[in-house]
Amino acid sequence: MTPPVLLSAHGLEWRSGTRTILGPLDLEVVRGECLALVGPNGAGKTTLLRCLTGLLRPTRGEIAYAGRSFAKLSRREIARRIAYVPQIRPARVPLKVEEIVLLGRYPHLTAFQLAPRAEDFAAVEEALRVVGIEELRGRPVDELSGGERQAVFIAAALAQEAELLVLDEPTLHLDARHQRDLASLLLRLKTDTDHTVVLATHDLNLASLLGDRLLALSGGKVLATGAPAEILRPEVLDRLFRARFEIVRGGERPVTILDLGA
Amino acid sequence: MRPRTALLILLAVWIATMILTPLVGSQSISLGEILRGDPTAASIFWQLRLPRILLALLGGAALATSGLGFQTLFRNPLAEPYTLGVSSGAALGAVIALRFEGGQFLGLSLVGLASFAGALGATALIVGLALRRQGIETSTLLLAGVAVSLSCSAIILFLQYLADSTQTFRMVRWMMGGLSVVGYTEVLWLLPFVLGGSAALFVLRWELNLLLTGEELAASRGVDLARLRRYVLLATSLMIGALVAVAGPIGFVGLIVPHMLRRFVGHDHLYLVPACILGGGAFLTLCDAAGRTILSPAELPVGILTALLGGPFFLWLLVWRRRE
Repeated sequence: MTPPVLLSAHGLEWRSGTRTILGPLDLEVVRGECLALVGPNGAGKTTLLRCLTGLLRPTRGEIAYAGRSFAKLSRREIARRIAYVPQIRPARVPLKVEEIVLLGRYPHLTAFQLAPRAEDFAAVEEALRVVGIEELRGRPVDELSGGERQAVFIAAALAQEAELLVLDEPTLHLDARHQRDLASLLLRLKTDTDHTVVLATHDLNLASLLGDRLLALSGGKVLATGAPAEILRPEVLDRLFRARFEIVRGGERPVTILDLGA
Repeated sequence: MRPRTALLILLAVWIATMILTPLVGSQSISLGEILRGDPTAASIFWQLRLPRILLALLGGAALATSGLGFQTLFRNPLAEPYTLGVSSGAALGAVIALRFEGGQFLGLSLVGLASFAGALGATALIVGLALRRQGIETSTLLLAGVAVSLSCSAIILFLQYLADSTQTFRMVRWMMGGLSVVGYTEVLWLLPFVLGGSAALFVLRWELNLLLTGEELAASRGVDLARLRRYVLLATSLMIGALVAVAGPIGFVGLIVPHMLRRFVGHDHLYLVPACILGGGAFLTLCDAAGRTILSPAELPVGILTALLGGPFFLWLLVWRRRE
């Protein structure tokens, strides 16, 4: 039995004026899998994520969640199913950790509800626990390190209790230790919870570690898709980035390094 | 300090302001005189001071909540009705009406109604800009506000040049902003706008909080940004338009009050909106009481006083923000 398709896009295309930024492409995300988007700058990774989260309306094509077209879902209905951790955030967010995580409950609130309910607070607690930042709850998020801050926004996405988690460049601007910590957090999420994950990253080793399937995007089109070992090969990477990579460790989840001198 | 404690203290200050400020002015009266039924004191209290205090409480609430709404919406600490061209649009409306000798309509002066229309016109212009280009940067909107402001000022100068000296005097006096000639009609006129506008901002508190985490994240959580912008701008410009119609432009309250309150109440709009209603009202009422006594027996229009406070505050905010 093949697992059911959670998110599907058919003939997806996004244009800015006359320029085609993305597509046309087809894409399916299967329930429970982790799909990692890789590709050079300007390949359309963020545009694709913004289409898949309903933030951008495609110029052409259709996206459906569990068979229901985005066109028939309200923004809130999409938000109850898909949680997004965007790459761009304001430099300063003047809120405390638990306030930010509680805001993840927004799509579940009804219009005239005065205060969050017990289940909202329970979801916040669970998210703080899973991410392991319970002791940071009362801290202003601006005082935290980059890695902790990213963990807070991931916790807020978890509090949203959506089945699909979409992450854009989760390890961007993080130093080596925080990259490793965040990678192990995401790996833990993947194994301990039953989230379906789509993430875009420049870090091929992160994609290799987390991705059940990699999708190589170039010039807005799908160059190749497959298991990490199929995509993370020097010849594919050379076509994708026009740069030389070496495989330092093979196997199912290869580790690559970029040869800057080549 | 916990936000709830801060709110309770603000409520106490608000009540104290309402009770004590009617007693001060060019002629001071005492609570005892009013309670004893002294006719002069009672008449000063009921006919002159109380409507003025009520107007200041409502007006300050309108200015502070509008400033808060603008600052969150534009994610810019310098946004307020004054810097966004809403007040200068209102001033232009009033000056046009004064130039062509306005009369009365439904108990309100045509000058007031023209300034109301001017405030809404300026907002419509800015909102039109915002809706024309989806995803227009908020800094662009701020600059658009400045441009609207400058254009209105230029037309005002032109109209003043054409006007005779009596008209010019009335225009200048109107633009100083003040609460001096006020009865209960003005209070009743302003009340629904302030209640409606600040209630709308309170209802939108979740959306406003989400905006603090960025427009992209807010949208991904299900906030309809275009609709939110429309609601906030509509609520604030109706409040400001209604206030300017009776009191003229009063600047910087929308800048000073929300910033001071954030230090005590935090950034959660659940507490910040009510805090601005109370704090803004108390602040404007105290400023007005000071204006009544500083040059006693003459009166200093409250608009001049808030502008005198606001300029240095603006500068302090710029330098303080730079250091952070």
